[in-house]
Amino acid sequence: MTTNSRRLLGLLVFGALAGGWLYAAHALWQTSVPSNLKLPHVDMSSLVSASQLHRAQHFSLILDLFSLAGLLLPLVVLALYAKWGHRFIGESAAGPIGTGMLLAMLGLAILWMATLPSNIAELWWLRRYGIEKIGYTEWVIGTWYGLGAEFLGICLTILIVMGFARLLKDRWWLAGAPVFVGIALLVTFVQPYMSGLAPMNDHYALVQAEKRLAKEEGVGNIPLKVENVGTQTTAPNAEAMGLGPSRRIALWDTMLDGRFSEPQLEFVVAHELAHHKHKDLWKGLGWYALFAFPIAYLIARVTKRRGGMAVPLAVPLFLFVWVAFPMVTLPIDNAFSRRLEAAADWEALQATRDPNGGKELFVSFVRTTNENPNPPAWDSILFGNHPTEAQRIAMIEAWQQRNGG
Amino acid sequence: MNEHPITLHVMDDLRRSRLTVFFRGLLVLPHFIWLYLWAIVVYIVALLNWLVALVIGRPAKPFQRFIAAWLRYATTVFAYVFLIANPFPGFTGEPGSYPIELEVPTTPEKQNRLKTFFRVLLVYPALIVGAVLMYATYFVTMLAWWVALITGRMPRGFRDLGANAIRYLMQIYAYLLLVTGTYPCSSPYVGISLGAPVVEGAPAKKASAKK
Repeated sequence: MTTNSRRLLGLLVFGALAGGWLYAAHALWQTSVPSNLKLPHVDMSSLVSASQLHRAQHFSLILDLFSLAGLLLPLVVLALYAKWGHRFIGESAAGPIGTGMLLAMLGLAILWMATLPSNIAELWWLRRYGIEKIGYTEWVIGTWYGLGAEFLGICLTILIVMGFARLLKDRWWLAGAPVFVGIALLVTFVQPYMSGLAPMNDHYALVQAEKRLAKEEGVGNIPLKVENVGTQTTAPNAEAMGLGPSRRIALWDTMLDGRFSEPQLEFVVAHELAHHKHKDLWKGLGWYALFAFPIAYLIARVTKRRGGMAVPLAVPLFLFVWVAFPMVTLPIDNAFSRRLEAAADWEALQATRDPNGGKELFVSFVRTTNENPNPPAWDSILFGNHPTEAQRIAMIEAWQQRNGG
Repeated sequence: MNEHPITLHVMDDLRRSRLTVFFRGLLVLPHFIWLYLWAIVVYIVALLNWLVALVIGRPAKPFQRFIAAWLRYATTVFAYVFLIANPFPGFTGEPGSYPIELEVPTTPEKQNRLKTFFRVLLVYPALIVGAVLMYATYFVTMLAWWVALITGRMPRGFRDLGANAIRYLMQIYAYLLLVTGTYPCSSPYVGISLGAPVVEGAPAKKASAKK
């Protein structure tokens, strides 16, 4: 085969892969929200008091600054570590993979230390507004244990990446990316069993409503559970978890403390059921898989200048790309997530046919979370994985207009 | 008389990295998991080895080598977590890879069948002594952690106490797992070789002479 024909074949393969990638991305991007839906303007000051709005705007602005620090600090720290991290090679008597694990763990350890002050300041801010209840010592100890879990995770990652790199050289990413997707699949499946979910014993009416809504949405039997977080936070939340037989809906116990009415809770449950109906967890995995291959390929290319992922010298650079790349794709990941959430809201409206319950819920969210219902665009792009409360209320009003409400 | 078939060679230079000392308890986590997984297989192998030793009067050579590698590895992990050595250990228990190294016979010796049969009971007195020694080591390590964090060095006395505790613990394991028929020796002068400090960055080598 001549050089030209090899190049042509390479281009054809690349074109086919790129086409497949775009097709998959397009398929995942589809939503059940009508494409011609026009969202009306919502005047939040008619729904929430001026003082509450001001409080939410002030709270969110400072929180956004902490979130920005949380984005930028790791980039700076890991960029410096990528440059000088190899100096710690001398602290290891292990082989290449063991040394790679040590370098990766030390990178995360340094990152933990560097971000500790801003994270404590963020906790102070959340405590000041009554969102977090956890004490500083308890929080630091918790993050210490969390760091231990991160160490184990990064060691497994290094074992996979360096193990394949030693076997397959620069083509490790072809085997590595599917393994990471497999791990993500496993984690999504087992998450409900690892989250310490409790049965919902004290809310018979809500359990019955969930069964009715599940039937309405055609998702079969999905257990409704409670996640006990009330000793640590006052923030309300709910999650759709699991795949197939492990599917669950988990309501944080902070949603069941009397601040939310029965119709509001039913709207939340309908929204989470919609995630299962739309197979959003599968879509999330598909989205992750779409990016797993390019990121693994990029890492393989970038680390080549340090000798490739078979040698520990490349690990600090690997860590930087591993953390930086998801930050680059954050805006598009958030946009994808917002589309899934908007579709779940739409489905919840169709199932409950209770726009008032939904509207009251989102107003209650502003009161209980202090989040700005109408944040600036950059905030939504960088941090908004759900539509803003104003957008969610606007969608309800649009639904009402369509359905003669 | 200061010889024991299970001997610990200490070639550590007392220098400690403050960063790895601070995070030592977390950095050792992957080793704990690997040690635990390996130990499950070791205990199955040890049970088979016990049956073999009862029948033929000595352990099987492949089993002996397998358990010896685990003992060497466990020594490096304990040395790392108790701040007795500075570098992050490897995962294979390869000889000559760490400044704290356990010398373990890889060729099985003849062992008394009666003592082999009652090995689990015979080891109890040593276990009690070993437990006391390990508690002392936990306490000393907590002090040593602060000292190493502040000064970047491990006090020799603390290091030697920890090394002796590990040496005794490994002699107990070796006796229990039939690697040797020699009973653990609680004397701090038996089965330990405090060699010259290794040169910084150079690969560890065995000490040339025993005390």
